[in-house]
This record gives sequence, structure tokens and C-alpha cells, in this order.
Amino acid sequence: MSEALQRLKQAVIEGADDVAAEAARQALQEGVKGLDIVNSAIVPGIQGAGQLWKENQYFLPDVVMAAEAFNAAMAVVRPALGAEGAPKTGKVLIGTVAGDMHNLGKAVVIAMLQGAGFEVTDLGVDVPVKTFLDKTAELQPDILGAGCYMSTTMLSIKDILAGLQAAGLRGKVKFMVGGVPTSQEFADEVGADAWGKDALDTVAKALKLMER
Amino acid sequence: MANAMLSAAHGFLWAKGLHIGKLNSASRPVAAMMGKPDVLPFPGAQMHDHCMTVARVPAHKYYTDAELLVSTQMAVERWYSMDGYIITYDVYNYEVEALGARMIYSDNAMPTVDLAHPLISTPADLAALRPLDVTRGRIPMFVEVVRLVTERAPGLLAAGMFCSPWSMMCALMGYPAAVRALRRQPEFARDVLAYEENDVILPFIAAQARACSVKSFTGADAWSAYPILSLPMIREWVLPSAQRMRALGKARGWNVSAASAAGDYCEEDPDKFDKQILFECLDVMNQNPIMNMRMAQALMGRTQDWDPHWLVEYARSRGGRSPLPIIYSINGRFIRDVKPEELAERVRGWIDVMGRDGKFMIGVGNIPADTAPLNVFTAIAAARTYGKYPIAADLSKVPFELPRFPEFDTWLKGQPEEEVIRDAREKR
Repeated sequence: MSEALQRLKQAVIEGADDVAAEAARQALQEGVKGLDIVNSAIVPGIQGAGQLWKENQYFLPDVVMAAEAFNAAMAVVRPALGAEGAPKTGKVLIGTVAGDMHNLGKAVVIAMLQGAGFEVTDLGVDVPVKTFLDKTAELQPDILGAGCYMSTTMLSIKDILAGLQAAGLRGKVKFMVGGVPTSQEFADEVGADAWGKDALDTVAKALKLMER
Repeated sequence: MANAMLSAAHGFLWAKGLHIGKLNSASRPVAAMMGKPDVLPFPGAQMHDHCMTVARVPAHKYYTDAELLVSTQMAVERWYSMDGYIITYDVYNYEVEALGARMIYSDNAMPTVDLAHPLISTPADLAALRPLDVTRGRIPMFVEVVRLVTERAPGLLAAGMFCSPWSMMCALMGYPAAVRALRRQPEFARDVLAYEENDVILPFIAAQARACSVKSFTGADAWSAYPILSLPMIREWVLPSAQRMRALGKARGWNVSAASAAGDYCEEDPDKFDKQILFECLDVMNQNPIMNMRMAQALMGRTQDWDPHWLVEYARSRGGRSPLPIIYSINGRFIRDVKPEELAERVRGWIDVMGRDGKFMIGVGNIPADTAPLNVFTAIAAARTYGKYPIAADLSKVPFELPRFPEFDTWLKGQPEEEVIRDAREKR
């Protein structure tokens, strides 16, 4: 592995976004293909941060900064990936439900999903049910993910699922829920296909859903 | 026994074996913390969303009308027959809203800060902010809430509230940017904290102190739970800020406890549970103890999957000849999702392990909006059935039946809060 790629991987692990972006640029200038940069440095970097999280060596600040470094590097490499026609694991549409402005967990989940090769469209925060439905119909994602961070806003998850059913979309998209007040029991109760306990768990379950 | 100090003395004497009269909802928690009460108390919880949902009042009125907010929670907590009132609210919002943060209001949920447009991104943004104007936003409403609470539910726990500096920094900047400031721009972070402590929180507390007789103020700080912050970061940033706030308050005759529950062990993954880290978290909490009382506290974490023996071990190891009191909170998602029969069994098990020697309280960390009331009633009934002192030698032989209770609306008829609640529903 080149010095630039080693530095890039380490920068993502350590959450040094400026170093990560600069190292990604250097790797591209040295002629490394975008996909190789992603697979050999950026993804191993974010996975390394995830592993340290699992081992109680990293805490939320470390993970969030690693995700930011991941995003900084991906922003540099993404145009090259488009030109190379890099393969995608699947398409994910994701958003935070109406009345809820929380973005932190979703940002980490998106970084991890992108690291696993998913094409992710982020609807943002405070997303009305209708927008979830309209965008699902328009973009036809493999997976629709809805995040909620309050025990009041989580109730609108049921409305999204009812809307998908009414629009004839439920059978065409897998539905995942996540966020602080959610649980496996809640996911089962509303009829979601999977519950993402945290970012790593979300990626693992999204990959499983793609196998179905 | 209306006087809070008399209730405290009554509870203290009871715990020491002097059983005079009957314990009430004010003296029972004191007796439980100091020794053995007659029966375990079950205090109120962080349950503002749940109360709003039970009472079916609209969020936009509930979170803007002090009378409705206080009346609704007092009514619902009394319906559950909890020991003492705990009135809560969207405590992280008031100051930043008054400073100009964009808020999202909805009919079904509490207001929330629009972190897509943070008030502070750069030092220049910070320099442009003025000291808090306590006439702006919902601050007057908040002050009225504190006044109503201290008037209607006085007691040792009656205190003013504020958003602690670190959590406020997250609300002003967004968590990622705030973390980045701590790590990469420490001078900037120090300036933000100093602004919050001196120009925002102090005026906010002063407004509360002017409106009512309360002298104690507690700063909520959910963003300083573990692992939202690492323990070294809590020690470096959060605890010193809490010490500064304490000193600022002391100089003005107030007891100011910022960073309440900093270090609360909120690890979500049972595979990552670690006794050593839990003990370190509890040590951090005891460096900044609530009401100056060292405890073994389980507050908002995934406590249903903890080994309760760990808390007993901690209480004994840190308390020496007199073990520390244990406060054990049932997790919010757990009480929402669990079957009531299992809940009762779990409460029995927790009392069996942690409650036998006294100095033990059980409650709920927070009660989510859509929690079935049967689950709340069950937790309370289980605590009172299995928590009678002396604790039965074999709790599995103590009979327990799921509680029966009137519907809230049936119970509400004739209660002092009925008119306020029904009026709010009609004017949705």
C-alpha cells in the first residue's frame, strides 16, 4: 500500500478530516483508481474505527470524527468513482421523521452504509411522511430507512408504513428503523423489516436484507 | 407533614429505626436512601411526553403553557400514585431558543432545535451573541413553571433547572462541531463554555430565583453521558465547568449543580458491558454528586441487561462500612416494550439483589410517550408488593396480581386539574 493510502486509512481511523482529504487527493494524483482508494484505505479506515468502538476503545466523539473524515475523503474520491462506474451494493433512501431534527446517528449510519458500497440518498431531517412516500416511488430504493430520536416522533413511523402499504410500495422496498427510542420490539410491532441498533448493526442488517 | 425539612428529618429518623407516625411520599424516599423505609417508594420520572400522551393534550399548547404543563404532569403522576411529583420539560431548549435558535414546533412532539442551522459555527458567531435576554422566547413560561412547581410540589427535590454548559454547547453548535471544538479548537471551546456559564446560565438562574424562593438549581446534561463523551473528556471539560458553575452559584447564595448525571453509563450494547468502566463512570458521577450525596446510580442506561450485583459490589466497595445508596432506574424502552408479567418478575429480581439491606430506590429513567399505562402501574405495584420491609426471604412466594386501574379520563373527573386539561383538548 502506498504511503498516501496508509496515511488516508490512518486519518479516517483518527478522524483527521483535513489529512484524509489531502491524502485522498494525493492518491488520485498518483494514479490510484477511486475504487481502490475506497476499498484499500477509506473503508478499512471507517471499519477500523468501528472495530475500536466495539472494543470499548473508541467513544462516540471518535466515531463521529471518523465519519467526518470518511465523508471528507469520499467527497474527494466520489467524482472518480462515478467516472469508473463503481458497482453498488444497493440503494438506500434515508431520513429523520417529521418533527425531529436529530442528525447525528443518521450521519454515522450513512457513512457506514457508503463504506459498505451502498448508494445513499439522504432526505435530511424533519421529513414529512409524504416526502418519504413520494421519494420512494420516485427513486425506487432497495431499502428505506427512517430514523427517529424522540418517543413522540417515532409514532409517525407507523404512518410511513401505512402509506407505503396504501401506495402499493410496501412489497417493493425493505424498511428499516433506527434511533434512540426504537427497539427490536418496536420494529416488530410496526412491521419493519429490520431494526438498526447502531451504525454497524444497521450495515450488517442492510446487507442481509439485500440477500433476500 | 408539609415542610420539606421535617419530612426529611422524619425519613432520616425512620431509617435509623425510630418509627414515629407513618411515612408519606416526601419522607419515604429519604428513609429509603438512608436505610429501610416501610415500603419502597416509587418516585415520578422524566415523563413529560408520556403525560402529554396520556392526557391527550396538544403539544403546541402543552409546551408553551406553564399551567397546562404542570397540571397535566401532576395529574398523571397522581393517577399513577407515584411518590412525589417530578415535573420535567424540554429542558435543553429554553436558553438556546431565547438566544435565537431556530425551533421546530409540532402538534405531537416537544419542540426541538433545528441543528441544521446552528447558532455558533465560528468564533465570530460567538462574538455576535448577546447575553441572554430573559424576556425572550419561552423563558417567562419556564420561570412560571418553576414557580408553580415550587408552590404546588415543594420538597427537597424542588429545584430550578437549566441546560448544562456542555449540552448547551451541543445545542448551539451541533454535537459534531462541539466535539471538534473540544478536540481541535480548545480555546474556542473554552470561550463558548465561558459565554454559556456567565452570560446565559447565570441570568437564567437569576430569573428563576427572582420569581420564587428556590435556591437550588440543577443542570441537565444528557450529552455528557458515557459513551457520548469519553471519561477523560468528561474529566477535562464537563467536571471543571460544573465546578465553575458551583462556585458562581455559591457566590450568589445558590446551590448550582451543573452536569447532572455526567458519566451516566449508557452503553447500549450488552456485549460491550464492562464492570471496570461502569465503576469508573460511577466514580465520575460521584465526583459531581447530585445533592452532594455519593451513590451507585443507574439512570438512563440499558439497565435491564446489567448484572445488578455489580451495583451492590460498587456500593459496598466505595462505601466502606456503610454502603452507598443505590438508585436503580428501569430503562425507558424496556418499560415500554416489556410484557407486564415479565416486568413484575424483573422488579422482584432487582429488589431481591439490591434492596434487601435498604438504601435502595427503584424508579424509571424516563417513560416514553406511548408506554402502556399498565406497564407503569405494574412497575409501581411490583415495587410496593415486593418492596415491603423487611423483604420476604423468598420473594417468589409473595403473591402478585397485575394491577387494575381506572381509565385516566374516568379518574380525572373532579380532580383539580380537570378543567385545565379538558379545556386544552377542546381548543386543539
